[in-house]
Amino acid sequence: MRPARPLLESPHFLSLLLLGAVAWSLTGVAWGEPLLHTGGGDSALDMLLALFPPDLSPAFLLVCLQAAWHTLSIALASITLAVLIGFPLGVMASGALVSPDSRLRAPLMLSSRFVLGTVRSIHELVWAVLLVAAIGLSPLAAIVALGLPYAGILGRIYAEFLEDTPEEPLTALRSAGASSWQTLVFGRLPMCTPDLVSYTFYRFECSIRSAAILSFVGIRGIGYEIQLSLGDLLFSQVWTLLLALLAIVALVDFWSGRVRQSLLES
Amino acid sequence: MIETREPTGYRQRQRRKLTFARLSFYTFLALIAVAWAYIFVEGDSGFTLLLEGRTWDNAGKFLTRLAGAGQDERPAFLQPEQWWATGRLAYNTLAMSVLAIGIAGFGAFLTFIFAARNISSGSLGGTPSRLGAAVYYFLRILYAFTRAVPELVWAMLIVFFLSPGILPGALALGVHNLGIMGRLAAEVVEDMDPAPARAMRASGAGIFQIFLYAILPQTLPHFITYLLYRWEVVIRTTVVVGFVSAGGLGLEMRLNLSFFHYDQVTLLILWYLLLVTGVDFLSAWMRKMARFE
Repeated sequence: MRPARPLLESPHFLSLLLLGAVAWSLTGVAWGEPLLHTGGGDSALDMLLALFPPDLSPAFLLVCLQAAWHTLSIALASITLAVLIGFPLGVMASGALVSPDSRLRAPLMLSSRFVLGTVRSIHELVWAVLLVAAIGLSPLAAIVALGLPYAGILGRIYAEFLEDTPEEPLTALRSAGASSWQTLVFGRLPMCTPDLVSYTFYRFECSIRSAAILSFVGIRGIGYEIQLSLGDLLFSQVWTLLLALLAIVALVDFWSGRVRQSLLES
Repeated sequence: MIETREPTGYRQRQRRKLTFARLSFYTFLALIAVAWAYIFVEGDSGFTLLLEGRTWDNAGKFLTRLAGAGQDERPAFLQPEQWWATGRLAYNTLAMSVLAIGIAGFGAFLTFIFAARNISSGSLGGTPSRLGAAVYYFLRILYAFTRAVPELVWAMLIVFFLSPGILPGALALGVHNLGIMGRLAAEVVEDMDPAPARAMRASGAGIFQIFLYAILPQTLPHFITYLLYRWEVVIRTTVVVGFVSAGGLGLEMRLNLSFFHYDQVTLLILWYLLLVTGVDFLSAWMRKMARFE
């Protein structure tokens, strides 16, 4: 028989807590005023009906293609930056660089974890707004704005993967006289390469979506075109752009699935 | 002499698999190179700005203004009444994030069971039917679509017909997370241990009994854990959705940035970080409750 848990830790209390929280959040909605704009229902209907069919004229498809490539190039550039920053910080945060009983270990791990945590806790669009205010509107601002939080996420996960490698091969390496550096390069890294690669790929997928919404601060790409089309009430163009975004993400998802499979099977 | 030859078929297959991963890796590197080249060639990339002193002057000025230096009155983040005034926005933002998780949670909870392949194929109970398969594909496509459209784009679309407030933001976040939660929960059902459900079916239980006593107890802890993890992500995104839908810290941050009230921006960022850290702690505490023994 399992021991009874105190009330504050029981699953029933959790369910009550969650339901209560949602009920509380409903009080934040202004129920007294009409929820829809005047004519809001009609524009929602227009929006839906514009799907049949989406705008597929060759001229607009070209715009779509250009916007998609724009978004993709920002995503690719920022994921490079994220790996370049996140990987060294992640290795430091995992504590694999120094021997387990070194006095440097704790400060090194804590400081790199702190940096990773800070850049991660601010959303990429907030970074973008701040960077555009600081250094002006340019692809550079977009790449840095995306690269920083993604470096934080990648670094943290890299550190976790590096920590989770089985200990036995590492002990064998160490007892054969390998330095921490050699243990890292010939022990830890080869063991978790598939995980590292597939997680980076997954984050690349996410960065495409993020790059698309960066247009909100004025960076060109799919989101920017969506904003323009919405402004002109051309809903069928909005649908085309949304479908294009869906297609890219699905394509990358398919690709990364194949890569993951082949890495796991080999 | 004993021959120590490995089976050749296996070797060959391994080599082919490796080349696919390796080929993908090189393709990816090439794509990255093309992307960087494109960014530099296509127009003003902004990198030349880094070499100009003016850029660094501006950035420095921006940072000092954020720190509240160079203004006559006390910076906003040192005035208690300003904290109180913006606290209301933080409260709304928190409510928005909870409502969003509520929408995503209820939506996913009502549908995830029909989006699991082992349910629709009837391998856990019930009979396989065309309808079940159709619902399965419909839900999977719905999840994929709601997931692929970013929160901010949902918000842009939703403010077209909903009045400003926390509802449009919560709905945008909720719809996006519905896709994520639905898929995760359906995969949990697909990966779960089928034995209890099969045992119940063998002893004559109906589909609802199987759902209540075999599927739910196994999947609910995972479901709630994922939901709480998503809450941590959602609270970070509320600000962004607030940029377009009125309400919460996001709108105020954007307004203050355009009025150059940078000390106010710092105050809002501090509130934002407080919310993010608070939700991280709350979620960790509740996830501990949801764990199974």
